[in-house]
Amino acid sequence: MRFVFTSAVKDLRRLRREPVTLLTWLGIPTFIAIILVVIFGRGDARPNGKLLIVDEDRGIGATLLAGAFSQGPLGNMISVEKVELEEGRHRVDQGKASALLIIPKNFTQALVEGQAANLQLIRNPAQRIMPEMIEEVLSMLTDGAFYLQMVAGDQLRKSAQGTPSDASVAQISVQFNHVIEDTRKYLAPPLIQLNTKVIQDKTDKPGGFAALMLPGMLYMAVFFIAGGLATDVWRERASGALRRVATTPASFRSFLAGKLLAVLVVLALVGAFGLGVARFLADLRISNFPLAVLWIAVSGCGLYLFMMLLQSLASTERVAHMLGNFVLLPLTMLGGSFFPFDMMPRGFAQIGRLTPNGWSVTQLQKILAGVEVTPAAFAAVILFVAAGWLVVGWRIRRTAC
Amino acid sequence: MIEVEQLRKQYGDVVAVKDVSFSAQQGEIFGLLGPNGAGKTTTIGCISSLLTPTSGHIRVMGHDVVRDGVAARRSIGVVPQEIALYEDLSARENLSYWGGAQGLRGALLRERSTEVLELTGLLDRAKEPIKQFSGGMKRRLNFACGIVHQPKVLLLDEPTVGVDPQSRVRLLELVRDQAQRGACVLYTTHYMEEAQSLCDRLAIIDHGSIIAQGTLAELRALLAERDLLRLTGVFQPEAVREALARMEGVEIIQSDETQLALSVSDASHRLPSLFAAINTAGEVRGTTLTQPSLESLFIKLTGKELRE
Repeated sequence: MRFVFTSAVKDLRRLRREPVTLLTWLGIPTFIAIILVVIFGRGDARPNGKLLIVDEDRGIGATLLAGAFSQGPLGNMISVEKVELEEGRHRVDQGKASALLIIPKNFTQALVEGQAANLQLIRNPAQRIMPEMIEEVLSMLTDGAFYLQMVAGDQLRKSAQGTPSDASVAQISVQFNHVIEDTRKYLAPPLIQLNTKVIQDKTDKPGGFAALMLPGMLYMAVFFIAGGLATDVWRERASGALRRVATTPASFRSFLAGKLLAVLVVLALVGAFGLGVARFLADLRISNFPLAVLWIAVSGCGLYLFMMLLQSLASTERVAHMLGNFVLLPLTMLGGSFFPFDMMPRGFAQIGRLTPNGWSVTQLQKILAGVEVTPAAFAAVILFVAAGWLVVGWRIRRTAC
Repeated sequence: MIEVEQLRKQYGDVVAVKDVSFSAQQGEIFGLLGPNGAGKTTTIGCISSLLTPTSGHIRVMGHDVVRDGVAARRSIGVVPQEIALYEDLSARENLSYWGGAQGLRGALLRERSTEVLELTGLLDRAKEPIKQFSGGMKRRLNFACGIVHQPKVLLLDEPTVGVDPQSRVRLLELVRDQAQRGACVLYTTHYMEEAQSLCDRLAIIDHGSIIAQGTLAELRALLAERDLLRLTGVFQPEAVREALARMEGVEIIQSDETQLALSVSDASHRLPSLFAAINTAGEVRGTTLTQPSLESLFIKLTGKELRE
């Protein structure tokens, strides 16, 4: 047992003698946080787009359509501006707007009379997300207009004929009520009942897009550090230190346990530093800081053993390096380090969450949000680390001799 | 004490060590002398339980190294051929680590570290990272790490390879000190001079087998106090054999068209008659006369030089 600490102290001393490596590791999460904050800003940053509208109709239909883009959460992401056609085209050409919507003359009339009307949307080809979003919203609005027309076309036509009197408003209201009564048999009772349970969102200050990215990015740093530390075994093998350990009464499992202890300390430092930087720079909400640091360190040990296993399976250092990269890069991509799971296609996100690092990222996000304390997850990681420790200890003993 | 009985180590079809048996006592320096690839390191690897023997038995201080490996390793100190140290640690930190691996701790570890640093002449450089050390200094520290726990059995695998003459002399003194302390020292080398000057008993190993063993005197006796005469030139091997067959006290060790090695009693007085006989079967162009030594014994036993 004593040798475990001796071995850990040895590795920590060696790391201390390599300040550049240590600073690089601490620098990775800091650098990533700074880049994200510079790009996306602090706090609740969201994608933002500008929709230019050329209103040739100037009727209530066009007003309602333009207004729909300014409603609710959509209004936080899309700012609407009415422009003349020429100016609109010019600004889209210059890339100063996400899209240009042209509402033709007599759009309102066509809407109420159930006739066809052509809405023209010119997208900015330099942008991807916002024009796509605007087109989707527009498509939903036109679908909605179609169904409204089917259900209450007569009432709409009446209301469109000038400013209605109080009596006609009352009459239209009564007629709307009758329409709803008629359709009630289809709508109530509903064939599918949707039960919605609203979980209290404890992440009332989530920290925006940068904070969304940071857990995954932090694990990328953890993964790289784990991979880097795992390659140290080749230096020890080349120098003959591993063979020398085999000639002492100390076991390879104690030797490896010492290494794990050193890795735990390093990753705890990196985790604490990374989370601290994320909280300071990107307003990342951290529900339980010590638990989050512990999670990063313990799960990082699992990743370290995983990388150690790969190293011990390789025949040469070169093969080990290639094998490490071959595994590390796809796993970081899938595991939510390059793209958050929320932004990945569902299938990939599902696979990504099953990768060792992806699963760890998911658990960290839960710990950060305080949604769920995960003793089972800790138990699973500790079990994995214990199994990895046994297997890797055996492999190192074999390769050392 | 080391006891090796019928040791065999095989890698697939390749036999690295074949039926090796010897024993070494406390306070004794036992040498394993042989060329590179003879099986010396494999033998040490098996004794230190780094390698598992294919067959045979090894006991260190009465503990079987296979069945009771940990107890055996507690008695052993190993100085490997390579400099198995951490370059980014200081000399004292290396000693702390390797001493810790041997079970030393606390004040005893510090005391023993200081002692061996002083012994190896590294005390004044104890705090420097050893990557700043010369090759000789690293060799001395490598040795120090093997003796920091005062092992009862010390295994030295060619510890002077690539060392400058001054450091070599210092290292050999340290090895003698360990034997005087009462340690059983197993010393492998392919340097004849080292083996001759250092070892109390020796085993000569070649192609994985021990071909001779005993004290230096016993091994010299195998040569029957004969000198080794090596001749170069142009020879007819068959004619040479016929010419020398009539001469008493002359044995041909090696003979081909350009070289001739003879084991000759009192060679210095018989050179004229030898040349006369050989010149009937060829032409002598160069002559080397060697007094009985391990080298001449090795050549006699294997028909080749140790460094070939």
